[in-house]
Amino acid sequence: MRPNRRTVLGLSAAGLVATALAACSSGSASGGADDPVTIGFVAVGPEGAWRQANEQNIQDTFTEDAGFSLKFAPATNLDQKSQIDAFASFVDEGVDLILLSATEGSGWEESLNRAQEAEIPVLLIDRGIEPDDQDLYVTRLAPNNVAVSSSVAEWAISTFPDGANYFVLEGPAGVSVVNERNEGWNELMADQSDFTDLGSQSANWSTEEAKSVFETVLKSNNNDVQLVFAQNDEMGLGAAQAVEEAGLTPGEDVKIATIDGTEAALNALVDGTLSFVAEYNPLFGEQALEAVNAALEGETLDPYIEIESTTFDSPESAEEALPDRKY
Amino acid sequence: MSTHSTHRPSALRELIRRPYFWGVIAIALLLLINSIKDPGYLAVSYNSASGNLVGNLIDILRAAAPIAMISVGMCLVIATAGIDLSVGSVMAVAGAVAMEFLASAGGSPTAALGALGLALLLGAALGAVNAVLVSVVGLQPFISTLVLMLAGRGLAKVITGGQNTAASNDTFRWLANGYVFGIPVVFLLAVAIVILVGLLVRRSALGLMIEAIGMDPRAARLAGVNRRGLLFAVYIASGTLAAVAGVFASASVMTVDVSNTGYQLEMDAILAVVIGGTSLAGGKFNITGAAIGALLIATLDKTVVFLGISSSATPAFKAIVIIALCLLQSERIRAMFRARRSRPSDISSDTPKEAVAA
Repeated sequence: MRPNRRTVLGLSAAGLVATALAACSSGSASGGADDPVTIGFVAVGPEGAWRQANEQNIQDTFTEDAGFSLKFAPATNLDQKSQIDAFASFVDEGVDLILLSATEGSGWEESLNRAQEAEIPVLLIDRGIEPDDQDLYVTRLAPNNVAVSSSVAEWAISTFPDGANYFVLEGPAGVSVVNERNEGWNELMADQSDFTDLGSQSANWSTEEAKSVFETVLKSNNNDVQLVFAQNDEMGLGAAQAVEEAGLTPGEDVKIATIDGTEAALNALVDGTLSFVAEYNPLFGEQALEAVNAALEGETLDPYIEIESTTFDSPESAEEALPDRKY
Repeated sequence: MSTHSTHRPSALRELIRRPYFWGVIAIALLLLINSIKDPGYLAVSYNSASGNLVGNLIDILRAAAPIAMISVGMCLVIATAGIDLSVGSVMAVAGAVAMEFLASAGGSPTAALGALGLALLLGAALGAVNAVLVSVVGLQPFISTLVLMLAGRGLAKVITGGQNTAASNDTFRWLANGYVFGIPVVFLLAVAIVILVGLLVRRSALGLMIEAIGMDPRAARLAGVNRRGLLFAVYIASGTLAAVAGVFASASVMTVDVSNTGYQLEMDAILAVVIGGTSLAGGKFNITGAAIGALLIATLDKTVVFLGISSSATPAFKAIVIIALCLLQSERIRAMFRARRSRPSDISSDTPKEAVAA
C-alpha cells in the first residue's frame, strides 16, 4: 500500500517538474522583447563581509525592474563541485548569460567549453580562472590586487622616508589573492634599501591568529618593528591588539596598513589604531551591468576590466567614507 | 633475562616508559632551538608598570590554554573508543553566542557572566546532541560528530548573521588577557580545569569505567557499567570544554570569526591526545599527557613564528616534528632499535649479560 502511494506521488512530482521545465525552456526559446533577460549567477556564497557586499550589490543591480531575471546560485561550503553543477544546470536551462565567481581557479575548462557550444556568454566576477584562457570567457571584472597592494607600498615609502623594519601578515599560502598581494608589495619594496624585511607569516585571514603571530614577532625583534602590512583588515586589527598588549601604541610606535576597507577597519583608522587602509572595491554592479549589456549585443570587450579602488590614509578620509560604507 | 637486567636503569626506564616523556623532550628541544637563535628567549621579565610577567614562555602558556581544554575533552572521548570531531565548530558556536550576547548586553560584569554561562550551556547542549547520536541512535562517533562539525559552523553563521561579530566587555576580555599575581588568568583557569577533570576521573571509579567501555563494551555491561550514562558524561564534558576554549579564543581578540575560530583545531586536539600517549583504539587515557601534548603544539606554533619559517614551509615543519615524535613513541620502532643494539650480546654467551646486570 505505502510504497504504491509513494510511487504515485513520485510520478506526479516528476510530471510537475517536467511541465515546469518545458514551460521554462519554451519561455526562453521564444525570447520576446518583453521577456526579462535570464542571468545565472554562479556565486561564492557566505565567505565574509567583502563577498557579501559584492554579491548583494550584483543582485541589487540585475533586478526585474532593470529587465533581468537573476538566478542566484551560491556554492555550498565554498565547494567547487556544487558550483560546477550549478553552472551545468544553467547551461542546460539555456540562460542568456552566466556570471561566474569561481571558488577555485582551476578545473573550469570543460564547463566553459559547454557554455561556448551553447553560445552562452560567460563573464567572470572578481575571481579569475587558471590557466587564464581568455577565449573561454567574455571578460573579467575585478579590482586589481597587485595595484592595490602597490598602493600600500607607495604609502609606506612616502611615510617612512628613512626606511623602517616591516613585517607582512599573509593569507593562507598558495592562494592566488595572496600571491598577487605579495607581488604588488614586493615589486616596490624590493629595491628599497632603507627598509628591512623582517619576514612574513600566514595568519589565515584571522584576527586571533594574527594577534598570536604578531606578539611573537614583536618579541623576536625586541619590539623593533615600525610597519606591518596585513593583507586583510581582520589580521591588521589583530596585530593592533598585539601591539597594545606589548605596551606600544599602534599608529605611533607601529604603523599598520591593511587591505579591504571594511567598516571595522575604517573605524579603527578613525581611532588611529590603523594607519592606512587600501580599499578592494566590491561594489561594481554598474560596470557589470554595462559589460553584460555589451556582451548581449555581441560587442567584443577587453578581456579584463579593472575596477577602481580608493585608499584611506587619514582618520578624516575614513570619517568621510564611513556613513555610506555598505560592508 | 629481564628479571636480573632491570635493576639499575629501572628509574630511568620508568621515566622513558611514561607515555608523555617524548613530548616533554620535544618541548625542551624546541625551546633549546629557540634559545640558540636568541639566548634571551627563555627570559621572563617583570613589567613593573603593570606587575605582569612578560616573555615568550608566558605567550606559550597562554596559547596552550584553549588547546588544552579541547584536548582534555577529546582525551576522555577517545578513551571510550570514540572521537569528537566537532570541538572546533563548537568553539565557533560558543564564541559566536558569547559575542552576540555581549554586543547587545553591553560591558557590565553581569553581561560577561551571562555570556559565559550561555556559551557553556550551548556547548554542553551540543555535546548532548553528540551523545544522543552515539549512545541512543547508535551511530558511529566519527559520523555523528562529523555532522556537528559541519553543522556547527553553519549554526555559528546563523547566530551572527554571517558576520564576524565584535564586542567590548572588560570582564570578558580579562578572562583571556588578564593577569593574577603576574600570571595570565587564562593559564590559571586552564590548569585548574585540567586538575579538576583529572581528579574527578582518577580519584573516583569514573576513569576506570570510561576505560572499561573503551576496552570492551560488552564485558563492561556485564560488569554493570552504565555505558549510556558514561557516554553522555564524556560527550557533554567535551562539548563544555570546547565551549570554554571558544570563550578563551574569542575573548582574546573580542571578536568571533565564524569561519576561522577553532578552524581545524579538532586535529590539534587529536594530535595532543596522541602525543600524550592515549591510544586512539580507546581503553586507556592520560590527562596529563593530553595537557603536555597541548603545550607541545602551542610551543611548535610559536617556534615556527619565532624562527621565521616561511609560511609555505610551516605545515611541513610541523609534520616532521610530529612524525619524529610518533616514531619515537612507537613500541615497535623502539623494539627494532633495541633488537639491533642487543643482537651482539644475544649471540655471545652469558658472561657479558652478567656484566650489564652488575
